[in-house]
Amino acid sequence: MGESDRFPLRIVDGLRLDKSLRDVLLPARHIHDEQGVMRRLPRYFYEIESWDEALHLSVSPNFGLWEFIQTDVREAAPLRAFPRYIPCAITMLALCLEQFREAAGTFVHIAANGGYRSPRHAINTNATPHCWASAVNIYRVGDVYLDDRDAIERYAALARQSMPGAWTRPFGTNRGEADDQLHIDFGYVLSIPRDAPAEQLGFDAERRAAS
Amino acid sequence: MPTREVPAPFVPRSESFDALRTRFDALERSSGARALAVAVYDTETHASLRHHADRWFHAASTIKVAILLGVYAAIHRGWLLSHSRLHVRNRFISAADGQIFHVSAERDANSEVRRSIGKMMRISDLALHMIATSSNLATNLLLDLVGLETVQRALDELGIDGIDVRRGVEDDRAFEYGINNRVTADGLVQLLRIIAEGRAFSTQLSRAMLDILHAQEFRNGIPARLPSAVRVAHKTGEISTIAHDAGVVYPPGRNPYVIAILTEWPPEGTGRSAMIAEVSHTVYEALAGETAEETATEEPSGG
Repeated sequence: MGESDRFPLRIVDGLRLDKSLRDVLLPARHIHDEQGVMRRLPRYFYEIESWDEALHLSVSPNFGLWEFIQTDVREAAPLRAFPRYIPCAITMLALCLEQFREAAGTFVHIAANGGYRSPRHAINTNATPHCWASAVNIYRVGDVYLDDRDAIERYAALARQSMPGAWTRPFGTNRGEADDQLHIDFGYVLSIPRDAPAEQLGFDAERRAAS
Repeated sequence: MPTREVPAPFVPRSESFDALRTRFDALERSSGARALAVAVYDTETHASLRHHADRWFHAASTIKVAILLGVYAAIHRGWLLSHSRLHVRNRFISAADGQIFHVSAERDANSEVRRSIGKMMRISDLALHMIATSSNLATNLLLDLVGLETVQRALDELGIDGIDVRRGVEDDRAFEYGINNRVTADGLVQLLRIIAEGRAFSTQLSRAMLDILHAQEFRNGIPARLPSAVRVAHKTGEISTIAHDAGVVYPPGRNPYVIAILTEWPPEGTGRSAMIAEVSHTVYEALAGETAEETATEEPSGG
């Protein structure tokens, strides 16, 4: 792989970011999921310099980076400005979605707040794979809005078939269900690319940061 | 250089207000309405007119003015910027029992907000749609964002009573449980007066709210029978047994007056907008008719 083929985003160690960013990204910290299980948040992030960069950078043949970082006013304030940060698992998520897109045979639209959102995003109540950049909410496939049982269950089945290991949220209006979008995730995926900075902080420093 | 004489402001006499109240009673009887309430505050003369102005009504969409205030309270406190963006999602929690409900497309006049489902819209655009086309989806999104508490606190801090915000719109389960937004004519006039006088947080934010109210597209109530030169910043509200309109009226050549006209009807009642337009016209004639006529008949002065 030549230099020109390298993924252009810089990898940063979240534990070395400014405190204002660490306080909202919570790198390597543990948080509870909805079952009360402790999950360790990502430590390494891609740094996105500008909206223009996100708009023009493809993370897979058919998905642009911008599609995964559209968060609204409820996102933590430091993450509503650039540079912004996204866990390194995003590239694998995008590649999986390519499989789904190919199976669907048309455009796949990711909802606002439906890609990466930080643990401090106000709509989160617990740890969600969205905070690992390993989940998406899809509100539309081609011309079909996923806002009824038939559409959501049909594309949920397609997602599970085309992306082995994918989990889809059941249709419904109760807690843990969705009736206006299709949630797909791969769990709490931690990605540490080869050229991530060496973990030089040492165990004690990381434990302090993660506590 | 010739000078133009400014006509002296028309000061309504108390007997003219008495005559108005008599006229409203007659209108109420002849129209078939179950109830009519009117409140007026004239910023030119500081005169007030109250006709059953403390009677509570289901607020219908007039509650959106209070929600607009709550949104701008959040902007004032720095929680939001007017250009902040919000995810457009049609999924809300009932104030009755926490169940999920949706705003139906059939009962929402605005399609632009609906077309943005899944995407984001600016707070200022949602506020505009909430008022100008009475978008229920925009209303619930904004209320969900700022919260009932913020809206009620903003009303309380500005000393406004007569507005009771309990829930979003289209919350049928809350309606079944009797959880409804309520207003009095007095309450709406207090709120609109504070906005019109630039006292809602700041002159700039009051101005922004007024601009939105000026964009109202439903004009078959207060403005319907007023001269075309009269600007009206207002908000209508209509459900099966309710028809309201409340706003700030800007006659040419004088300071504005604030008016709220609230009506309740049997389900089969007709002529609702016509009655509101009649009340509005009657008040206009009493407060500004003479001034308007003088303004209209003035000869243009030479250059």
